[in-house]
Amino acid sequence: MYGRRSISNRLSRYVVLLCAGLLLVITLLVGAFSRTLIERGTISLASRELEVVTSDVERVVAEVERAVDNVDWFVQQHRSEEPLMYQATRELVEANPNIIGSAVAFAPGYFHGRHWFAPYTYIDAHTNRIQSIQMGNESYDYPNLDWYRIPMTQGRAVWSEPYFDEGGGNRRMATYSAPMRDESGNLFAVLTSDISLEWLSQRMAESTLFNGSYAVMISERGMYIAHPDSSKILNQSIFDVASAMPDTMGLAIARNMVTGMKGTGRFIDVNGLDSFAVYGPLSNGWSIMLVSPYTLTFSNIYIFNIIMIVLLIIGLIAMYFGCRRLIRRKTMPIVEFSNAAMTMAKGNFNAHIPEVKTRDELMTLRNSIEYMQRSLNEYITELKATTAANERFESELNIARGIQNAMLPQDFPEDGRFGLHAMVQPAKEVGGDLYDFVLAGDELFFLVGDVSGKGVPAAIYMAIVRAAFHFIGSLGMPIQDVVRQVNNCLNDGNKNCLFVTFFAGCLHLSTGELEFCNAGHNPIVQVKPDGSASFLRAKPNLAAGLFRDFPYEGEKLHLEPGSRLILYSDGVTEAERADKTQFGEDRLLEWAGHLLPGVSASAATLDLYSRVKSFTQGSEQNDDITILSLQYGKQ
Amino acid sequence: MNVTITEEGNKALVSLEGRLDTTNADQFMKDITPLMNGTHEEIDMDCTNMEYTSSQGLRMFLMLQKTVSARGAKLVLRNMKPHVKEVFDITGFSHIITIL
Repeated sequence: MYGRRSISNRLSRYVVLLCAGLLLVITLLVGAFSRTLIERGTISLASRELEVVTSDVERVVAEVERAVDNVDWFVQQHRSEEPLMYQATRELVEANPNIIGSAVAFAPGYFHGRHWFAPYTYIDAHTNRIQSIQMGNESYDYPNLDWYRIPMTQGRAVWSEPYFDEGGGNRRMATYSAPMRDESGNLFAVLTSDISLEWLSQRMAESTLFNGSYAVMISERGMYIAHPDSSKILNQSIFDVASAMPDTMGLAIARNMVTGMKGTGRFIDVNGLDSFAVYGPLSNGWSIMLVSPYTLTFSNIYIFNIIMIVLLIIGLIAMYFGCRRLIRRKTMPIVEFSNAAMTMAKGNFNAHIPEVKTRDELMTLRNSIEYMQRSLNEYITELKATTAANERFESELNIARGIQNAMLPQDFPEDGRFGLHAMVQPAKEVGGDLYDFVLAGDELFFLVGDVSGKGVPAAIYMAIVRAAFHFIGSLGMPIQDVVRQVNNCLNDGNKNCLFVTFFAGCLHLSTGELEFCNAGHNPIVQVKPDGSASFLRAKPNLAAGLFRDFPYEGEKLHLEPGSRLILYSDGVTEAERADKTQFGEDRLLEWAGHLLPGVSASAATLDLYSRVKSFTQGSEQNDDITILSLQYGKQ
Repeated sequence: MNVTITEEGNKALVSLEGRLDTTNADQFMKDITPLMNGTHEEIDMDCTNMEYTSSQGLRMFLMLQKTVSARGAKLVLRNMKPHVKEVFDITGFSHIITIL
């Protein structure tokens, strides 16, 4: 029903997102860790391989050096015997498979005064047979060659830079040259042994650590001694190659190697291949390096990582659906509760609430809903009873209002001698205000009254007042006697001190003589034929119903035809609007002073009422409003 | 309507403050019950801060007056604002209740 926004979907998403975050961190850590491990493993593997290669080469080098050292004394002993010199070189070549050539090169003029004397035995590169020659002559002036000159100058045995022995062995070789001293310590010759660079290259080529890896060997000056690409041997130095590389790592490695350092490094080679190198020196100043393509070496790491990520994604997807299913099942009661609540909301308070077995929040929720259901049921029952009671009370009030309205005369007489209209608007359903009039021949008896208080209590008292008045008023007594009688009548049994204020008048229609009596009521408004309005300040006497036999006094007034009287209750003058301002006597008088002469009594009544209503601007009416307007004579 | 009653021997000094209308007439009745049931010989009400009284309020004063008179005591209202005094005058209550 809620699709993607349902609780199960949302919670599952949150859980999966959280787990994804956690697992990602773990994967990164494990990845980094395993990468370090594999890297270390690879380095140690490569280093071991380097050691093996190095020790192989070292062994050969050491053998050559030892072999030379072994015949040292022989050469020294027999340095003047030509055949033995040949024999010495031949023995070196024959006895050592790693030596492809050997010579005893005498200092110029030393051997029986000969300028060049250098017996040389070598394995012929083509025939593979051992041959001996005397190699010193004008075209092979060995005293100027490095393999002779350097040991003679330095006075110690050295390995030469690799070279192509043009006119000698006629092949690529490196030579170990040991200077010979006679008894007096003078250097008289150099004893040499050559090793083949082809052999070294072969040995290097045997070292294939990983698929695509290779080994190179360089001399002290960085010249290639062994390289898978044989064209580089003796033709290029490692610096030539390294300086063509895109980064400076190659050069750094090259510098380290020629200075005899040991280490590992990573560089981009000339072909742009990310490479990994392990290098180390040989005791004779040469250096060996094993190079492997980095991506191949560490491809395991990538495979490992990819497998982990794939597993992770699969796991997360499985977790999402698993979670969703689980949450959906566990929260099923919520959906059922929701349906039950909806059923209740629609008015069926006996909706079945699904049972819950787990003692958890769902149980609490269920109990709450059940409690709510019970409370609602009780409340609704109570409300129904109250409503019924209220309805009954209201209907009774409406009936009472009808009765009260019916007590007040609604048929206003149409008479050429006068016009009269009145209205009561209670603040509540029923009120305590009243008006009345009786026309008996020439006399018009009229009254406006206001019972203390409001609502039902006032209404009951008002009914008594009205009944007393209507009866006593119709007896034709002078007005003050009517009032006294009414007062006494109301006094009987009035323990609650209820009282009524009223203004009662009797107008003799033929003469305009007005007899009136005021029982504590508001001053009425008199409008003279010229339109001027003023309050008729009658004697207050006393509100009726309070003291038996109170001597109410009547007064008299002559009305000119065209006069108007406005009677009202304090609901008019004390009508309040929101800012607590009252309508007041001034507004009433001003309104009366602006009444046009032709306005009928009913129009005047309704106009005043609407004036009061527009003044209060919709504020709640706080007291009953009564208005009676009487107009004497033809207008 | 706030009613504050202070007693001085047999005399009760009462201070009235605010409006007295139908909505709070019952409360006012409760507030002055001690005066109705009491034995004060004189009740002096200060009306300086009384803003308004409805006919219901007048009835309360009247009931108090009747009760007080019945036990031979005296009720006096003082310092009434003109527009409040006017209500007492119009209804004739000024004849029944002593207003100074």
